[in-house]
This record gives sequence, structure tokens and C-alpha cells, in this order.
Amino acid sequence: MELAAILIFVMALALIALEWVHRTKVALAGASLMVVIGVLDEDGAIAAIDWSTLGLLAGMMVIVGLTEPTGVFTFLALRVAQLSKGRPIALVFLLALVTGVLSAFLDNLTAILLVVPITLLIADLLRISPIPLVMVEIVASNIGGTATLIGDPPNIMIGTARPELSFIDFIVNLAPVAIVTLLVVTAGLALAFRSRLRVAPERAREVAALDAARDMREARYVGRTLAVLVGTIAAFFLHTLLHLEPAVVALTGATVMLLVAADDVESALERIEWSTLFFFLGLFVMVGGLEERGVIEDVAQRLADVTGGSTTAEALVILWGAAAGSAAVDNIPFTAAMIPVVDSLQGDEFNDALWWSLALGACFGGNATLIAAAANVAGTGILERSGQSISFLRFLAIGAPVTLVSLFIATGYLLLFQL
Amino acid sequence: MADLRDLPLVQASVADSATFGEAVSTLFAAQVPALAILAGERLVGILSEVDVLRAVFPGYLAELRHTAFVEDDPAALDERARAIRDRPVGELSRTVEVFDGDDSETHAAERFLHAGEQALPVVENGRFLGMLSISALCHARLDRAADEELS
Repeated sequence: MELAAILIFVMALALIALEWVHRTKVALAGASLMVVIGVLDEDGAIAAIDWSTLGLLAGMMVIVGLTEPTGVFTFLALRVAQLSKGRPIALVFLLALVTGVLSAFLDNLTAILLVVPITLLIADLLRISPIPLVMVEIVASNIGGTATLIGDPPNIMIGTARPELSFIDFIVNLAPVAIVTLLVVTAGLALAFRSRLRVAPERAREVAALDAARDMREARYVGRTLAVLVGTIAAFFLHTLLHLEPAVVALTGATVMLLVAADDVESALERIEWSTLFFFLGLFVMVGGLEERGVIEDVAQRLADVTGGSTTAEALVILWGAAAGSAAVDNIPFTAAMIPVVDSLQGDEFNDALWWSLALGACFGGNATLIAAAANVAGTGILERSGQSISFLRFLAIGAPVTLVSLFIATGYLLLFQL
Repeated sequence: MADLRDLPLVQASVADSATFGEAVSTLFAAQVPALAILAGERLVGILSEVDVLRAVFPGYLAELRHTAFVEDDPAALDERARAIRDRPVGELSRTVEVFDGDDSETHAAERFLHAGEQALPVVENGRFLGMLSISALCHARLDRAADEELS
């Protein structure tokens, strides 16, 4: 049964990486197979599902879905384009900043879905290629999402799996390194792309003349929607004091928003991406199967043997290993598998440095390849639907150096401040 | 109830080798929401008004929800229109479900509600009979009801 569990999981990872079949189908098929052949029983499968992660994701999907019609995200993206006054380096930094902040407080996939379409319009208005800007945004979304518990799915999974790590803990331990990395990487990308982002002065003047707030003025419920959004984010900061799980905060925020800013509950709930939730559900069951059959314990033991029990070595192996694994498959399934490994590795003594290593590795590794993070697939997908495209190799040519630089910064940070 | 072959179908079609510009002219003249693209007598797809919209305006518009602040850039729109105008329409056609000549009006109504199309082709033995639009379907039904009432 141990071998069957490993085979099913590895096959599922391979299929997810190759994108031959939709990843939700793969995860659900792998989970079903594990239960049907008896790798784990029904009760074990239900117990393996991390309902808090699913609740947090669903709550945030509703909140963002109801905030999007207010036009506030369009306003932000257009405003930064205006503030850049057509200067390429300013444009790159401002778009990276907006995307990074939105990723940190919404999540990176949502941030990309919100900013990339308006970026295509901005690029069109400025008569420049959108590809460098979208690449900067994808990279910024993965780095910005690293900064908080809700910013990137690996962090959501880690934060809900280890309740000892609060929203504030994530910010205190990950935001500084995320900010430094974002600045360094954005500077590199701005220099690399600056010649392709030259804007004619008359185009910049035309963009500056646009009324960025017009859609917001015409939208309904802008004030109350933004109030609930800000209140929810504030509640994340205070969730430990309030004795509320992040999932409860997100679902309560979503409920309040439904009460005060949604005319039609049915259409508001359509914003929930059920395929994503079922993808997570299938992954949790598959990882539960690996745990049930002792595979996770074996991996943790081998990792402990390789590192000789040194926490420093363990943290660095987790950091670089998580980045490599995320680049090869996708940082969500890889993190799902690694959480119990790290849990087992640390034993009875809670060691947050190992969790920060996993978060940094998985989130930064998400920049390496086109398939490494959901935000990458979504951003390049929007580009493709609009008639532009980035090939796997072209993405790799930008993503791999970005990831290496990010990991070197993360290594230095862990060695200096965490280990 | 009548079979679909008995309804007022519109002979709106172009060859797949026709240009996009010619297809749009045909679509406009036929006053039907979509036309058939034919290879010889074989139906290869349709081109709807929404397909035309997506081709003439930037592709990213479908991803946006807020554009009230945008002002037209005639030079950019002209450039895009020139680039698309002479492309063979076969490259832009889309395969969709088709109605059979003996399908019922009720079935057609259900498919229109769920397929998200405003007009669909009706075929019989592989031969294209014409395009059936929602308004043609409903207009014919109302007329028939009025006739029944008079008789």
C-alpha cells in the first residue's frame, strides 16, 4: 500500500506538471483512487481535508469577487500608470508595488486576475509591449504574496496547518525579506526591460488625462464594500487577539459583504472558484494517504539523516528543495506534501524557522517556471487570450534568474535572522 | 408545432475562403446575429456578432469590467481593423452545435437558452438549410398562435 500511495501521488504530480488533464480532475482522481483501493479509509479521507484552508479561500474569493465591481482595482492600476508619467522604471516599480500589495492582502492569483487585464489596456494606450509589464506583475505577485498568511496558497496552507503561526507572525518574519526581494528583483527587471518600455510623451499625456475614478463613481456600494474589505484585513491582523481563526475572519468578512453589498446572493457566490477548492480537497486526501502509509515519516527521516539533525541544514534544504519542487510541479501540491514532512522533522519542539523556510521556498519557487504557481498560469493565460503569448522557455529565462536571486536573499535572511 | 425546416431560416453564409471584411458585410446585410461558414456545401462553423466584436476590438476587453474612463484611439482601432479585414474568415470561425431540420421548436428554445448563441445553423443530411435566430423562432411562434386564433 505504501508503494501504491507513492505511485498515485507521483503520477498525479506528473500529470499536474504536464497539464495534460485539468489539475482538479487529477487531484480528485488520485484522492478517489487512494480511498477506493484502501490506502486510507473514508473517515481518514474526511479527516485529512483541511477545512480551514478551504474556508479561508472561499471567503476571500467572495470578498474579492464583490469588491471587483467597485472599480477600485482598476483605479489603482490606472493611477500608478498615470503617476509614472511614462517613465519606464517608475512604471515597472509602481505596477510591482501595487501588485505586490494586492497580493499580500488578497492573494497572488486574485491580484494577477485583477491587474493584468488593466495592464494590457495601459500598455495598449502607451503603445508598448504588455509582456514585460505582465512578467513584472507575475513576479511581484509571487513575492508580495510571500509576505502574509493570506498572500499565497502555500502560506494559507502553512498558516492553517500550524495555528501557532499568526497573521502577524507571517508579516513580522516574511514581509521584510519579501520587500527587500521585491525591490531587488524589480530593479533588475526594470533595467532589463527599460528599452522596451519607452513611452512617447504624447501617449503618456493622453493616459494622464484619463479620469481614473470614473468607474468607481458610477459603481454601487463602493463605500460599504471597501469598509468591509479594510475591516476584514484589520481583523486578520488582530485574529490572535480576537481568538478567531483566519478562516473565520475571511468567512465572516464574506458574510458581512454579502449582507451589505450584494443584491443577488446566487451571482455573488458564483465568484467562488469551485475547481480550485476541489483541487485542494483532492490534494489533502492524497497527502493524507501518504501520511497514513508512513511515506511522510520516511521522507522526514531521510531528510533528517541527510542533514545530520542540523536545523540550519534542514532549513536550507527545505528552502531550496521547496523552490525546486515548486518549480517542477506547482507550489500548491508540493507544499501540501511538505507540510507533514516539516511537521515530522521538527518533532515535538516547534521551530518556526523551518516553516518560514518552507514558505519562502514554495512562494519564491513559484516564480521559476510557467507552471510553478497558479498566478503564472493565469497571467500568461490572459495574455494568450488577448493575442500575446509567453512560451515556457521565455518565462523560464526570466523566472529562473529571478528565483535564484530571491533564494540567495532568502538564504542570507534565514542565516542572519532565523537560524 | 412546426419542425425547424419550416421556420423562416435566413440564407446567411460565406465560403471559408472569404475575407473577414466580406463576412462582416454579409452579416450586416443579412440582419441575423450569426452566419454560417461553408467549405463547399459543408458547414465548418459560424461567425457571430460577438466573434466579430472580439476580432475588431482588442482581445483583452473581454477580461476587463471597467472601461468608462477609456477614450477611443481612432488610429489604433483603424490599425487593428486593417490587420483583421483581409484575413480568411475560415481562420476565425467557430464550431457550434447545429439543429437538425426535424428538431422541434421547444428543443431549439432550450438550446438557445443554454448555448449562449443568438442564432444557430439548421442542417439536413449534412446540407446547410439556413440560420435560425431567436427572434425568428419566437416571431414564427407568435404568428402561428395568432393564425390559430383567427381560424
